[in-house]
Amino acid sequence: MPHVQLFITCLVDSFYPQTGEAIVEVLRRLGIDVDFARDQTCCGQPPFNAGLRAEARPIVEHAIKVFEKTTGDIVMPSGSCAHMIKHGYPELFADDPDWLPRAQALGNRVYEFTEYLVDKLGVTDLGAQWDGTLTYHPSCHALRGMKIDRQPRALLANVRGAQIVELPNAEDCCGFGGIFSVEHPELSAEELKRKIDNLEKSKSPTLVVTEAGCLMHIAGGLHRQKKNQRVMHIAEILNTQ
Amino acid sequence: MNNTEFRSRIRKSLANQHLQIALDINAERRVTRRINALETLPDWRERRQRAHAVRAEMIEHLDGYLEQFAEKAKQNGVIVHRAKDAAEAVKIVLEIVKDSPQRRESRKENQKESFAALSTLRGEKVLIAKSKSMVTEEVNLNHALEAEGIRVIETDLGEFIVQLRGEKPSHIITPALHLRRQDVGELFRDKLGIEYTEDIPTLTNTARKVLREVFLTADVGITGANFAVAEEGAICLVTNEGNGRMVTTIPPIHIALIGIERLVRNLDDLALMLSLLPRSATGQKLSVYTQIIHKPLANQQRHFILLDNGRSRLRNSPLKESLLCIRCGACMNACPVFREIGGHAYNSIYPGPIGSVISAGLFGSEFVPLAQASSLCGACKDACPVDIDLPKLLVRVRAGEAKEEKRKEEGGGLSLTSRFFLKMYSRFALSPRLFTLSQKFAALTSLILSSFSRWIRLPAFTGWGYSKDFPRFAGKTFRERFVESDSLLSDRQRTENNRAVRNMVYENTQEQALALHKVERFTKELNAVHGHVHKTEKPSQSIVEFLQSRGINRIHLEPGVLDEDALAKAGITVSYAPDPAIRVGVTQAICGLADTGSILEADGEGNPLHASLLPEIHLAVLFTSRIYPSLENAIHLARDTKSAVFITGPSATGDIESVHTIGVHGPGEVHVFLVDD
Repeated sequence: MPHVQLFITCLVDSFYPQTGEAIVEVLRRLGIDVDFARDQTCCGQPPFNAGLRAEARPIVEHAIKVFEKTTGDIVMPSGSCAHMIKHGYPELFADDPDWLPRAQALGNRVYEFTEYLVDKLGVTDLGAQWDGTLTYHPSCHALRGMKIDRQPRALLANVRGAQIVELPNAEDCCGFGGIFSVEHPELSAEELKRKIDNLEKSKSPTLVVTEAGCLMHIAGGLHRQKKNQRVMHIAEILNTQ
Repeated sequence: MNNTEFRSRIRKSLANQHLQIALDINAERRVTRRINALETLPDWRERRQRAHAVRAEMIEHLDGYLEQFAEKAKQNGVIVHRAKDAAEAVKIVLEIVKDSPQRRESRKENQKESFAALSTLRGEKVLIAKSKSMVTEEVNLNHALEAEGIRVIETDLGEFIVQLRGEKPSHIITPALHLRRQDVGELFRDKLGIEYTEDIPTLTNTARKVLREVFLTADVGITGANFAVAEEGAICLVTNEGNGRMVTTIPPIHIALIGIERLVRNLDDLALMLSLLPRSATGQKLSVYTQIIHKPLANQQRHFILLDNGRSRLRNSPLKESLLCIRCGACMNACPVFREIGGHAYNSIYPGPIGSVISAGLFGSEFVPLAQASSLCGACKDACPVDIDLPKLLVRVRAGEAKEEKRKEEGGGLSLTSRFFLKMYSRFALSPRLFTLSQKFAALTSLILSSFSRWIRLPAFTGWGYSKDFPRFAGKTFRERFVESDSLLSDRQRTENNRAVRNMVYENTQEQALALHKVERFTKELNAVHGHVHKTEKPSQSIVEFLQSRGINRIHLEPGVLDEDALAKAGITVSYAPDPAIRVGVTQAICGLADTGSILEADGEGNPLHASLLPEIHLAVLFTSRIYPSLENAIHLARDTKSAVFITGPSATGDIESVHTIGVHGPGEVHVFLVDD
């Protein structure tokens, strides 16, 4: 039986464990064995993106060491963490002939969850059922950094009973950006406001994302504004039967 | 600028309702126009990659190409200078200007109309007419010249407006982006003494009248350069209003200040860049005036000043890729942060994503905090016509790589709290045990903070709490649940089926419509930019009829274009000398471009400028055999002239509220008389 490693990422691990479970269930239903390396922590993206490379480097080395001990593809429920490994790691080790090949070897094994389903397994129909309207927000790092857009859209198109509507200005950032959302709260708030306005325009009660950062940010904004729309990770939609 | 000051500038911009409206208009109009314009090039994605490679090769071997450019320009009769920094550039300009033969006498004669703002400039001072140039802003040239008692007038409509307001441009392409028409109406009322109006054509026409006099009497014209062509020793300047053409051809001295990274290898590379630059900047297939200037005209001095000002340092730094920039402004128009705060908030002449990289690289570490004002969403990279990896460069600036010193200050612009939090977090993430413990601790704390809700309302000062609530940590993390539920899951029936793979068929973008015949294509494109085509077998007769229909009996004429006997018979007189009363100029176009509706004209001897630039109406005779498919097929023709210009429709501006307004400094009507040969 083929097997994959699940790199759960810190946000899903700490805030959205049900998303992680959904991923495990979806993959297992497809006959994939899912391993979880217990020593994994974080991919290193938060300090790296903030410019704190000295802090990021040991975390990244830790992640490389942990996953070097494993085999198989590595699946992540986050385009930005996958992007970090594929693009951030080589940037971090650009001048390090020892670590660079190790970082690149790891990057070659990494897939974002929907990318893995569609591009690697060739699956676009998981037999999922959803009663109601859905709209999709493409996360920036998945969309522009990893060119992942048709994969989640193809998966959603095959969800039975679901009516998929287009989110106006879907490709605009929601304003999360990691530490940006606390460093520049006013800017982040404006972008979030636009995203929520567009969600309202779509008239969809449910917003689907592939990234826990966007989920946490948009859902937090909706709750603050006392709105009823919900934000869900795509894995949980795909895991419905 | 420290982070506190930046934050306060951001808040000020957000609170400015007028600015917010102006920025929304800009973002909506510019982004759509850019995308539509690029889609007219079926291979634009591939061109973008080629443009990246061409620019990267240039920056890699810049020194050699600079030598080649300087050598070639000297052979062309241009005086070439090198300036290592802003002070040197200013000094060179001052030396040139002080030696200039002044045209004060002619200015005195021209004191016919009187505009309040200009009444003082017709005195004894040296008068400089400037076309929009970011690099002159970068070295603060106007300030230095004015300190020496020299009068400088910005002639681009947007720059003219911000200069009258005593401001800096807020965008590198549309300097007055931050203003509404009402602001301009009030400004012109107060400074130019006209009646208040919100009518954009009236405002534009006022600027035309005021600045016409400046062009005709200026001692020196100063411009930047969009590109400099190494093999040719020529520069390329793209403008829409016609002011660039005026200041490079009318004053007895022209000075171009050129950033050394503006170089391209040859005319082919230039054609490639020109297929991307106007589309990305303004959504035009070609700007109205695309000048390629090789030599000084008769009785004219031309100076090229090659400016380094930190570019060599940038070239040797990890921010090198930023030198690929061709200054189109597309990254600003696409940036969700720029859209909220506009250019002035950045407090640098180069704002937006590219500005947040190069300001730190060129001007120093006080600009590093700008790079933190980005969610790294990557819209800038996608919009960039030369595919500069701006998010990557922004992260490098944050990591202190803009600095030369060995000891880098990482996390520049971060608040102390964020820095502390990230350092703590990084420590925990190093150890699986500590990481798990901190998750437990956070879960417990968040449960205490918010026992009855899944949400925690953090105070605004935390940043997060400013506009959103924070989710409670999960009671059990995924890693805990995974261990516990492993057996449960394996008991579950693993439905292997239900895997019908339905491969989606994605809509391919529609192929471009069949190529039109070149005459039809030329006509369609020229009409699209508000120009007119008249098909004729007898151009002299058709033009006489056109003039009679307009009641015009005096014209400027390029020698040898029309049958002068026929004109005389029709009672039409011809003037070869400039005359502001004449409304029509007639020229022969060297060639036409089918895919943009452009015509090529030469400036200089035998090709009187006053025929194709000064009058309100420009009539050009073009033979159909001289229509080329595209710029890249015809750009070499510029080589045979001292100064050539591809004209794409009537003179125009979008400087007030991005509203397309026809007829600025050049003709407001362009008619091409197509002769089938």
